[in-house]
Amino acid sequence: MRPANASPPTRPTLFDLARAWIIVSTQSIGGGPSTLFLMRQQIVERRHWLTHRQFLEDYALSKVSLGINLVALAGLIGSRVAGAGGVAVSLIGLLVPAAMITLALTVGYTLVRDSDLVRAALAGAGPAAAGLTAGIALTFMRQTARRGWRASIDYTYAAAVIGAGLFLGVSPLIVIAVGVLVGAAFLRGETARASGDAGT
Amino acid sequence: MTGNIELFLIFLRAAALSVGGMAALPQLRQDLVTTGLVTEPQILAALALGKVTPGPTGLYVVSLGYFAAGVFGALLALVAAALPPLGLVAVAGIVRRQLLSPWAAGVVRGVVLSTSGLVVATSITLLAPDRQLLGVPAWQLALAVGAAALAIHGRTHPGVVIVGGAAVGIAFGR
Repeated sequence: MRPANASPPTRPTLFDLARAWIIVSTQSIGGGPSTLFLMRQQIVERRHWLTHRQFLEDYALSKVSLGINLVALAGLIGSRVAGAGGVAVSLIGLLVPAAMITLALTVGYTLVRDSDLVRAALAGAGPAAAGLTAGIALTFMRQTARRGWRASIDYTYAAAVIGAGLFLGVSPLIVIAVGVLVGAAFLRGETARASGDAGT
Repeated sequence: MTGNIELFLIFLRAAALSVGGMAALPQLRQDLVTTGLVTEPQILAALALGKVTPGPTGLYVVSLGYFAAGVFGALLALVAAALPPLGLVAVAGIVRRQLLSPWAAGVVRGVVLSTSGLVVATSITLLAPDRQLLGVPAWQLALAVGAAALAIHGRTHPGVVIVGGAAVGIAFGR
């Protein structure tokens, strides 16, 4: 197997790189999992710019990024295959087309939001979105929790946070600060799983 | 102008204090709703729109930015969302090994469990303000629980769940 820091099998031009990201950005309907799937398909399987192992190593690293992990992953991939220019092209290529589609849809929604039909649709789509969001967060917890007996510590902490969020109205800033301290003290071990599971 | 800078900083702070796209939601909701820039129904609409459009889930911030301040607000939200991940790219070459250490994993695990827990709590309170779940119409409650189960199961396309929810809304919500 290639060492993780080996140079990529082939080196793309910035134009080719942009084209791959635009495909990911416009076809990845369905959020994190489908975006990740398309990234791997385009970058590793179809164009061979990274080995599978390099992709997984960058994926593991992206899991410790602040903000949107897949944006960090795009930046790491861009940096590996084409340096600083690759970072810029990857971020713009991943974000701008998808953001423009999101913006267009949002503008469209705003134009028709006062119609009875759209109000009724949102009365159903809203709760579905809330449920999906909660489900995604629970899945994220499951992927983050350690395995074996230590999982009970992780889930107990997560349950305590849900309770604090629901009933104490604690500021997110405080909960995150507590998370850093609790994490450093009690939740160490098992680095991010590089299994290619869903990211957000 | 001050308003735009303030809005940018709201989005930047939420992104810089979270791990994962959805994780910024509790902070964004607190900052945007309390300042009156965005309403709670708009947050639900942004989440729904974000689920039917391509790209990372975290791009619902573009809708929130638009609701708060139009197209320029959407641009501010997008730029703010891109900056914290760039920080990782900048330091990855120097501290790659440290970032993959068990210690860093513990810190990240603490932050992810914290923000995920808050996202669950936020989702519940978006559905039922004041936590009065009994006050929510049964069909809406069933939709939310069903959507959560489908998200955990992971086989159904989120866009399909949202469109299905909208169809149920048109059937029951008028």
